Amino acid sequence: MKTIGGENFEVRLDEDNFTVFFKGALRLSGMEDYAPILDMLKSTLANPEAPIVLDLRELDFLNSSGITMFSRFVIEARDRSGVTLQFLATEAVPWQHRSLKNLQRLMPSLQICLS
Amino acid sequence: MTPEQTFGHYSGAEKPCEYLTMVFSPLSVPLRSRWRNNGLSADFLGDYVTTFLPAGNGTAAAYIQTEIRHAVTYIANELLENAMKYHEHTADIPIGLHLELCADHITVSATNGVGPNQAERYRTFIENILNEGDVSQRIVQQLEDTAAGKDSSSSCLGLLTIMNDYGAELGWHFEQHATFQELMTVTTRAVLRLKMLTGVAA
Repeated sequence: MKTIGGENFEVRLDEDNFTVFFKGALRLSGMEDYAPILDMLKSTLANPEAPIVLDLRELDFLNSSGITMFSRFVIEARDRSGVTLQFLATEAVPWQHRSLKNLQRLMPSLQICLS
Repeated sequence: MTPEQTFGHYSGAEKPCEYLTMVFSPLSVPLRSRWRNNGLSADFLGDYVTTFLPAGNGTAAAYIQTEIRHAVTYIANELLENAMKYHEHTADIPIGLHLELCADHITVSATNGVGPNQAERYRTFIENILNEGDVSQRIVQQLEDTAAGKDSSSSCLGLLTIMNDYGAELGWHFEQHATFQELMTVTTRAVLRLKMLTGVAA
């Protein structure tokens, strides 16, 4: 397990299951600050033996710089062949049903499981 | 310099039912050190607004409260982040964040000072998005461009998502500053129609 943490958030990578868990509120000031998280996400693309899962259900808030960060990861995943990407999301957190559709337009095969 | 200009959905002041204004002094400490204050302020506005929403214990009332609180928090956060990032630091002009609640809509606006070059860049961006027929397509293009390194700035994405993902109407007001006449104050205003946001009238 690798973890990146801040005042109000935690990002945890389960390398064995190609799953990244997000928790709290991500409102960092720009791409420079988001770089460590983006690097962690990209590390899952090296040799995925299973679908890559981003579990966002406990991510209560994401600013637009965070949307940009996820979009960069999604585009990179799209541009590699054979990558299956799945986002676990929830209707209970409004940004997820409002903004995740933008990412799906970048990568139509992106699976968004809204619970 | 044109002394005053408006763009988009920017009507004159109307009598709000409730309002709240926060004023921040110009940046005396680096923005990075006070970045967290943007989130604290936005969270406060989102919580504050729920006091004036219809009370109720049902699922529908809870849904409306959650959606409106989140929308106000997201919009306030994006507008304040932009105001802080692009504020003209050389003059003693405060940064403002203003909330108005009316029967069928909520207005969130942020005001900051800008120099002539920044004002021009912002006006060009505004004219571009006002001429854009399909904002959702513009978002996708912007995300592609950013990923391809064609556009290093993601600042306009916030405004695009406010329009597209939250259905808010945006308007802008540029005004020559009374004291620092080489500078302007710019107000970015988002109007959230409650019916649009929740599917029901509040």
